Amino acid sequence: MNYVRMCGLAITFCLVFVPCSPLISQAYEDTQCFKCHTSAKQLIEITREIAKTRPAVKSAETEGEG
Amino acid sequence: MGPLAPHEKIFVDSDIVEDENHGEIACHECHGGNPDDPNWKTAHKGVVKDPTYPDATRACGDCHDEINENYQKSLHVSLRPYKLVTDTRASSNAVIRNELGCAMNNHCYQCHSSCGQCHISRPTSVEGGFLDGHLFQRKPPMQEVCTACHGARIEKEYFGENKGVSPDVHREKYMKCDKCHTGDEMHGNGKEYENRYEVENGSKCTDCHKEIYDRESKNVIAHRIHKDKASCQVCHAQPYKNCSACHVGKDKNGLAFYKTKASWLDFKIGINPLKSEKRPEKFVTLRHIPVDRGTFGFYVKDALSNFDTLPTWKLATPHNIRRKTPQNSSCNACHGNESLFLLEKDVENNEKGANKNVIVPSNLIPRKQKWQPK
Repeated sequence: MNYVRMCGLAITFCLVFVPCSPLISQAYEDTQCFKCHTSAKQLIEITREIAKTRPAVKSAETEGEG
Repeated sequence: MGPLAPHEKIFVDSDIVEDENHGEIACHECHGGNPDDPNWKTAHKGVVKDPTYPDATRACGDCHDEINENYQKSLHVSLRPYKLVTDTRASSNAVIRNELGCAMNNHCYQCHSSCGQCHISRPTSVEGGFLDGHLFQRKPPMQEVCTACHGARIEKEYFGENKGVSPDVHREKYMKCDKCHTGDEMHGNGKEYENRYEVENGSKCTDCHKEIYDRESKNVIAHRIHKDKASCQVCHAQPYKNCSACHVGKDKNGLAFYKTKASWLDFKIGINPLKSEKRPEKFVTLRHIPVDRGTFGFYVKDALSNFDTLPTWKLATPHNIRRKTPQNSSCNACHGNESLFLLEKDVENNEKGANKNVIVPSNLIPRKQKWQPK
């Protein structure tokens, strides 16, 4: 009986106090991709930089309803 | 649908880590690139913008295996009807067909969808951009996804944006696309269909309006009389958009463009070109589509030398349904009313051959009725 109770307590402790997802998301949040793509400021700077060099991708000659 | 600023298109909502299904998948697992490189230029080397197109197996297949299995055959991905109708109209000359293939790749085949381009971002053909900070959308939002592509016809019809034409009655009931067009229909069932009207789990009016042929039902006489004779849209649609003469080409910078000659609102009943067990009606609404003998003339001459094999007035299901319309206001509002039917005089001379099977001969126009049901 005591053994069952101990197991139950151990499982409950793990579920309540050792959530695993924050550990995983922590690693994920540390990537450069996540840091940059969640920063509007950085994205504005980079997209402006890209816009200066990137040629138009859409033709101005398109006319009429598609 | 408002445009997005360039940074808005790629801004990721940090709440994505809370997504219990997708939040634990790191960016590079789907998109590639180097997650440890602080230099954005080198970090993006090898990055795949849409890892779900043309093959979604790696990105989605592990969990959504059943949907992924059918993915390649979904019409939104395969564009099979486009290919089939173009092949049918095309010259049999191999050199011409090759050129035509290039033209189709540059223009027509850009209008596809993918898992990502419905559930994560706007479709690339309308310049993309995350729907909601890359948060996964179980149901794609109607205006950012569905009508972003199906805009000129469906959106304007459904929302009542064509001058003098009311919105669809289902729109007024706040129904969104997915109310009729379910995920199962969109994802496909693994069968390769020739056109969207064949799709087995495609929506039908009678899926909801089951009672229209019941004895107690209102207008049961009209519904029973016209069953299998006229499609629902013949009585319940309003004038809808028709287009003509789409020509494709490339400008001096090598960018693809298209030009359509004209578009107009019209309502034409014609002979059903796709009569089947599922669509047995003799009369259907027809829409003029923008194909033209010279559509691909920029790339190759006479590409569509078998132009007359398919009609340019195509079976249509306009999305501007009303319970009461001018043509269903009385029997003789339609019967004997030549202006509603696609007659030979309504078809351009150089398209008469292509449309010979859908033009309504005057002897087939239903005669005026002396008796009217109450």
